[in-house]
Amino acid sequence: MSSALAVDRLRRSFGPVEVIAGISLDVPDETVVAVLGPSGCGKSTLLRLLAGLDEPDGGTILERGRKVVGPSPLRPMVAQGATLFPWATVRANLEWGPRMLGRPDPAAVADELLEATGLTGFAAALPRQLSGGMRQRAAIAQVLAVQPPLLLLDEPFGALDAQTRLRMHEWLRSLLAARPTSVLLVTHDVDEALLLADRLVLLSSRPATIAFELDVGLGDDRGRATLVDPRFVALKADVLDRVLAG
Amino acid sequence: MARVQAPLTRPDGDESTATLRAPVTLPAPGGPRHDRPSGPTAGSAWLLGLVVPAALVAAWAVASGAGWISPRILPPPGEVLDAAWRFAFGSDTRSLPGVVPFEGAGGRHVAASLRRWVVAYLLALGVGIPLGLGLGLSPWCRRLLDPLVQALRSIPVTAWLPISLAWFGLGEGSARSLVFLGAVFPVVVATADASSRVPATLVETARMLGTPRRALARRVYVPAALPGIVTGMRLGLTLGWMSVIVGELTGQREGVGAMMFAARAAVQIDQILVGMATFAVIGLLGDLLLRAMTRPLIRWSDA
Repeated sequence: MSSALAVDRLRRSFGPVEVIAGISLDVPDETVVAVLGPSGCGKSTLLRLLAGLDEPDGGTILERGRKVVGPSPLRPMVAQGATLFPWATVRANLEWGPRMLGRPDPAAVADELLEATGLTGFAAALPRQLSGGMRQRAAIAQVLAVQPPLLLLDEPFGALDAQTRLRMHEWLRSLLAARPTSVLLVTHDVDEALLLADRLVLLSSRPATIAFELDVGLGDDRGRATLVDPRFVALKADVLDRVLAG
Repeated sequence: MARVQAPLTRPDGDESTATLRAPVTLPAPGGPRHDRPSGPTAGSAWLLGLVVPAALVAAWAVASGAGWISPRILPPPGEVLDAAWRFAFGSDTRSLPGVVPFEGAGGRHVAASLRRWVVAYLLALGVGIPLGLGLGLSPWCRRLLDPLVQALRSIPVTAWLPISLAWFGLGEGSARSLVFLGAVFPVVVATADASSRVPATLVETARMLGTPRRALARRVYVPAALPGIVTGMRLGLTLGWMSVIVGELTGQREGVGAMMFAARAAVQIDQILVGMATFAVIGLLGDLLLRAMTRPLIRWSDA
């Protein structure tokens, strides 16, 4: 079976501190995998390795069978906080990738994403003129503009209030439903992981290893109502127990 | 697609923020600047800045009228104003060889000083911005050149005067070289500093969006560092203008500074003061012009 990403026995240390201690995981095509773990466990380090922004000390990362070297539009990452170019308009931010890659008609790509992010009226605005939620949608739209087979998200909604975050979860689900994109999502928010992911990977505290894996199995129609679904509640209790156990 | 639309049309929460912030109210890039209350367009607030100078001139007039100050130390304001008028509009006495004219020569002197300033300043930008980017972006370049740049910029412009005269002789070359030296270091230092502080996430995002490595300087570093570069450009413009008078110590016959040195030799205090006022006004206007020209480029960074 083809994998958007296959990670095998990945290791990374910073000086004497071992941060990632042999992680193997698989992101199948068109699936959302959530990596959940306590703060400071090495989630962001893992994502930077997968994005090609950092090099592992050992192990391999294969992207559809090819070794990952350096950052690539095939697996862009949206980091914590907005990564939009602050001097460029929302439209110019969305057109950035397609333009750099010499794709045909960047304006049409931007139009479609402006529509899907509800930012059509803000095409000429600068990032600082947007609210936090709009800025985060624009940042995700910016990388989706290069039509990546895999999207890496690092706590993408961590800075938002709970209600906005829930709306963003619903928005992201609908956005991804229309695209053949796999997602690796790093988060410390159990609700977020269970709302968005098909598969959940729980990391141990540092040095990070995989403590537990789970197929979420809550179906495709997830949203605010899911939060009170007994199956969701039971899953959440189970996952929380494991997270808090460290 | 219906699900895509649903949260966007809902009139509550984040989306109501969207409706409140109608795009109509957004100052479009390149559109009119959203001024803070202290901005120059905020009513007549700028008049406040004239209160203290006006009071000082009034005190000066009173002191001169009462005979408390000798006109040989400080002539009365009316006389200085008269000299300024003659400088600007007097009948241009055909200058004798070796004599720096004053009457009606304002335009010629200002033009000569401006030419020195602009030519040397543009050269300083042409050298300073690329050098600053090199220092800011390449650790190799920094290790190689930073100590030299730091040492050279500690030398005051006046201390370059003797060597400049030795190399370029009396004339335009030495004048321009001194203005260049006055302007280039603030540009280099500010550009190096601003470009070295560009957030890594921006560069990484650009790379992940397929921006080629060789395009990063132009596409990411320069735009992101532009507010800092502009600050350096403004400092360089002012320091360059201050160096113009040093450049005009090099035996120039035209230039505001040249006129002032001739006036000092002839003990014409009023003419010296006219020269100083000319420097102040032109320096101020130059900075205003540069700010107006660069504002559209860095409006995104306004607080």
